[in-house]
Amino acid sequence: MTDRQSFTLESTESGAVLRLAGEWRLAHLVEMDQALAGAVWPKGRLTVDGAALTGLDSAGVMLLYRRLQAAGVSWSQVDLAGFDAERLPLLDLVTDRLTAPGAAVPAPPGWLARLGRWVSEAVGVLPDWLNFLGRVGAALWQVLRRPASLRGRETVVQLEAVGLRAVPIVALMTFLIGVVFAYLLGIQIEKYGANIFIVDGVSMAMARELSPLLVAILMAGRSGAAFTAQIGAMKVTEEIDAITTLGLSPMQVLVLPRLIAIVIAMPLLTFFGDVVGIAGSAVVAASQLDITLVTFVNRLKDVLPLDMVVYGLYKAPVFAAAIALIACRNGFAVSRDARSIGERTTSTVVSSLVAVILINALFAILHPEAT
Amino acid sequence: MSAVLELEGVRTRLAGQWLHDGVNFRVNKGEVVALIGGSGSGKTVLLRECVGLLRPTSGRIQLLGQDLWSLSPEDLNRLRQRFGMLFQEGALFSSLTVAENVAAPLREHTDLPARLRDQVVALDIRLAGLPLDAAGKRPAELSGGMKKRAALARALALQPEMLFLDEPTSGLDPISAREFDRLLRTLCDSLGLTALLTSHDLDTLWGMVDRVVVLNDGKVIAEGPVAEVAKVDQPWIQSYFSARTSSKGATNGI
Repeated sequence: MTDRQSFTLESTESGAVLRLAGEWRLAHLVEMDQALAGAVWPKGRLTVDGAALTGLDSAGVMLLYRRLQAAGVSWSQVDLAGFDAERLPLLDLVTDRLTAPGAAVPAPPGWLARLGRWVSEAVGVLPDWLNFLGRVGAALWQVLRRPASLRGRETVVQLEAVGLRAVPIVALMTFLIGVVFAYLLGIQIEKYGANIFIVDGVSMAMARELSPLLVAILMAGRSGAAFTAQIGAMKVTEEIDAITTLGLSPMQVLVLPRLIAIVIAMPLLTFFGDVVGIAGSAVVAASQLDITLVTFVNRLKDVLPLDMVVYGLYKAPVFAAAIALIACRNGFAVSRDARSIGERTTSTVVSSLVAVILINALFAILHPEAT
Repeated sequence: MSAVLELEGVRTRLAGQWLHDGVNFRVNKGEVVALIGGSGSGKTVLLRECVGLLRPTSGRIQLLGQDLWSLSPEDLNRLRQRFGMLFQEGALFSSLTVAENVAAPLREHTDLPARLRDQVVALDIRLAGLPLDAAGKRPAELSGGMKKRAALARALALQPEMLFLDEPTSGLDPISAREFDRLLRTLCDSLGLTALLTSHDLDTLWGMVDRVVVLNDGKVIAEGPVAEVAKVDQPWIQSYFSARTSSKGATNGI
């Protein structure tokens, strides 16, 4: 029997007979479906003859059942003939399961429902945030009252991860930015013979904006992403539930050490960035602009007010706190599926960058006198 | 009886130790065979070798008439469409709904139009004994028993000739476990499936399995119908099967 002729339908005196032939399997389902679509079904009883079948699987039975149902022939009106004995259980099982009443597959929600869900989720973020901030605040208050309850060991481990291990990359980035900045500024400044002002420009820019922002961006990508992934993975493996069940507070154990570590590490890294960045520009100044290191340092003492360095440094812990809170909150918001961790980590990096830029703008507006 | 799966002298060296030291057994068409053995005896590893996830150090595995480990990657993937695997924790894709999970192999390996595919998916979900309203749920929203059923529906999607099941009833309560056993037996009998499963569940062994293969110290030490294997005078087998008689109701041997 060829695949083309998968069934024949004939009318006899006692009723119609549907003779099935060939392979009624998933692999041929589309052809069968098209062939059956063109059939004209007789009224009354129907005999299905499976003597010429060479293959049958559940998808094939399902197709026959669905087509007959669509044509108004219910399975109870169907007589079976000629089927191999071993195929009968298959027919029974599939038709039995298909006949059993069951709720229909729920339709996917329409655009209005999706919009509604999106809005309610977006609004729902606010109480979640308040809840999270409240719990962090409560944990922090407890640590302030009883400093011994701080997880010292974990805080030091985090301090090493977010602070010490970030030193090489901070040094590399700020040094290179210092070099490039001094080089480009030097080209312009040279035209006016105002070489010495390279010190003013570079040191102020570094201390006030560049170093704090560079370090914050690095931290958001490096430590923020790590916090979210760590806490998210613990959420997935139910470790956070285990912490709670053991009578410990996830805020105390997970969030505070990270928050405190990054708040301590960030100003230190920022100051380190100030120094390395200015050193980078001093190298360019010495080689391109004929300003010796001694001249550079002497000029630096005169033109870089301590205020400005401090201004840059006290932005750092605020950036740090924003990054840590966003990262930890995203970690806790991970749901128990594989994609969620990736989405949340991305969200952490993007939101913390936006937060850092916004906070920086806010500082600039609130402290115009620091210029 | 034709053999669907045949293992010959399978040896596996893992972490410097011989986990399997010449395993031989066969599974005939239409049979439901259970692989038993203590924890760490390499049941799951053997199952992974049978489905082509882990290459044995030496030996031959003949699956559905083909020498599994001499196939090219393309042929192996083609062969993979002819059997299904049920992982211990279900291994459902967590970011897809149940219906999308079941549809995934159909999308990949058939050119069914969406309407027919949805019908096949709905059938597989019903065959696995899941209510249809579970179709739109994510795996995280399902109970352990429903996860196993959803995973079974996915394993059935491509109309496999053989099923591999790793601890199909672990983590289920005894009632759900027996229901799952019955479902599996019905499906195997009706769909003409052959099944190889690993299990610790004595009730599964007594209730639905045709034959038992006992793996111990890297070798098959007994095989045959449960009633016969239970009588074999070997210390491990005796303590395994007496675990139930000594503490009624306990279902986990060892």
